[in-house]
Amino acid sequence: MTMAATSHDTPVETAAPSTRRQPDRTYWLLAPGVLWMLLFLVAPILMMVYVSFWTQTTFKIEPTLTLKSWITFFSSDTYLGALWTTVRIWLIVLVSTLLVGYPAALFVGLFVKNKTLSTALLVLCVIPFWTSFLIRVLAWRPMLGKEGAINMILMKLGIVTQPIEVLLFSELSVIIGMTQIYCVFMVGPIAFMLGRIDPSVIEAAQDLGASFWRIFRTIILPLSMPGVVVGAIFVSVMVLGEFATSAALSGRKVNLLGNIIVTQVGSLKWAFAAVAGVVLTILMGAVVAALLRVVDLRKEL
Amino acid sequence: MRRGSWPELVGTKVSAVLQLKNVHKAFAGVPALAGVDAALMDNSYVSLLGPSGSGKTTLLRVIAGFEQPDGGEILFAGRRIDGVPPHERGIGFVFQNFALFPHLSVAQNIAFGLENRAVAPVTDAKAVAARVRDMIGLVGLTGLEDRAVTQISGGQKQRVALARTLVTEPSMVLLDEPLGALDANLRTRMRGELRTIRERCGVTFLHVTGSESEALAMGDTVLVLDRGRIAQATDAGTLYSRPASADVARFLNCYNIFSGAVSGDVFESPVGRLALGGVRQASGRPAYAIRYDRVAIRPRDAAAAGDEVRIEASFVASEYSGAAINSFFTLDDGRVFEVETHLSHAAPEAFEEKARYALVWKREDALVFV
Repeated sequence: MTMAATSHDTPVETAAPSTRRQPDRTYWLLAPGVLWMLLFLVAPILMMVYVSFWTQTTFKIEPTLTLKSWITFFSSDTYLGALWTTVRIWLIVLVSTLLVGYPAALFVGLFVKNKTLSTALLVLCVIPFWTSFLIRVLAWRPMLGKEGAINMILMKLGIVTQPIEVLLFSELSVIIGMTQIYCVFMVGPIAFMLGRIDPSVIEAAQDLGASFWRIFRTIILPLSMPGVVVGAIFVSVMVLGEFATSAALSGRKVNLLGNIIVTQVGSLKWAFAAVAGVVLTILMGAVVAALLRVVDLRKEL
Repeated sequence: MRRGSWPELVGTKVSAVLQLKNVHKAFAGVPALAGVDAALMDNSYVSLLGPSGSGKTTLLRVIAGFEQPDGGEILFAGRRIDGVPPHERGIGFVFQNFALFPHLSVAQNIAFGLENRAVAPVTDAKAVAARVRDMIGLVGLTGLEDRAVTQISGGQKQRVALARTLVTEPSMVLLDEPLGALDANLRTRMRGELRTIRERCGVTFLHVTGSESEALAMGDTVLVLDRGRIAQATDAGTLYSRPASADVARFLNCYNIFSGAVSGDVFESPVGRLALGGVRQASGRPAYAIRYDRVAIRPRDAAAAGDEVRIEASFVASEYSGAAINSFFTLDDGRVFEVETHLSHAAPEAFEEKARYALVWKREDALVFV
């Protein structure tokens, strides 16, 4: 969020003086977008930062500046625990979407030679989004539950004697759910980058004597890195702001920063919600900035 | 030297580095290679000429191992290689679009094969650096080692592609239209460079091209590929003056060709009876071919000498190309007849458009296919 805000700010600052010097009317094309972003993105973020310093009492909130909410947040085990859970689940989901998504992207982007077919396969990846979130949640429960499909099959096969309870209403179920939803955001950008690799480049590497594993490590992986980074940014921003999946699948056992914000807003604790929001925004900004350092996207795309 | 050494090599089959025996390949039932037979001499520059769609890229990819032949044998240095994966063949491939590794520098591109090959990789960084440095010197890229391959010119990319292959010391290098992506000026210069680099390395180059002038200029041997078969394999001089069939003559782009039939000592063509006097070659399909530059343009009332063939045509236009001028005529059956006049001894003549002229050539200059 921070990144988005700053990258929108810069063109405005550089654009304004040159508009006056040489009347280039094309800058007016930016006006609706800039106006919209200032009103509905930059202003609310600044407001959120401001509110996080307001004084919160049980029943009301006053615009008297104080650090109290911040101190409460950073001295409370609940909030710090939520921060840690958020970071942990984000990292696990990031790795698992990469592990599940990369091979799929490799198949779609590189090994399917027919462009129409690879586009069709990418569209197939989006099919889960044709169902609503509620229906997906409903589907996960009979699948993962104590008497759900997975446990029934495992018990019928004699692999386990007791149903595995950790499958539903646990951190594992949240990770399974999030990986399923966000995997496609990893597959798409990676498959796009892999699809841009000239097949003769790989043939050239083959001809020079490299084995497939070598070619993967030295050619395919580096050339697909911009896709990995873009996919990782998509997944990170969405997972860090998540609250619905954990609410639906963890049985309130897993509290992410997003869940904290929802609860605080629900009980009208605006200052606490704002503190959590600022922390989350900074976290996202840091993650996106770190990911952008991995690959120079401007050079690669 | 290059032209002279060829006749001795013909008999010595032992020095053939690559032999193709009845190689077949079809894509979805459409034959691309229909029984290719060829033998490529060691340490020579071979050009493979073919019109687009003749199967030349397929043949190259089959030799390199990127495509598997449907039938036939490929012998490389005496060993059967059909079925052997590309990286175990010891054959280098230079791609038409160069296929450089876009994320690596010039030096890293060249070092790739040495460091990453499955068989006997060079692990000593100093040894790699030394060989890369030598190769960069050989192809004339000194000073550009650390440049990204996206920041160098077309000719330099060509050199990187070649160096990347040569550094792995292949016994043969396949070049797929290597000059096709370069502009005309650079193409002429790279012709000489490619020949020089090949002579320094002493390996066989098989250079695929659709340009007859490139094939003739580059190859010690020129193979002509037509409809999936080798139509002729000979040196450039012989190919130019004695194409083996009317089709080969057509690719050379320097022959007027008439179809028809031989009856006695005349050739019955759509433009009339042409008296025969020269060599007759068996080719399966009767045709009569006369080179553009063997034809003289005379006024309509000029009579032909006894050993000459004369036809009439109307002048259309001419095209000036510096050392020569090409004049285009329409024959009575509507077809275009081209005459090339060299300007080294005569100023260009002015012809009147739509006026009729006599086109005359010596009987023995014509090639007759029976």
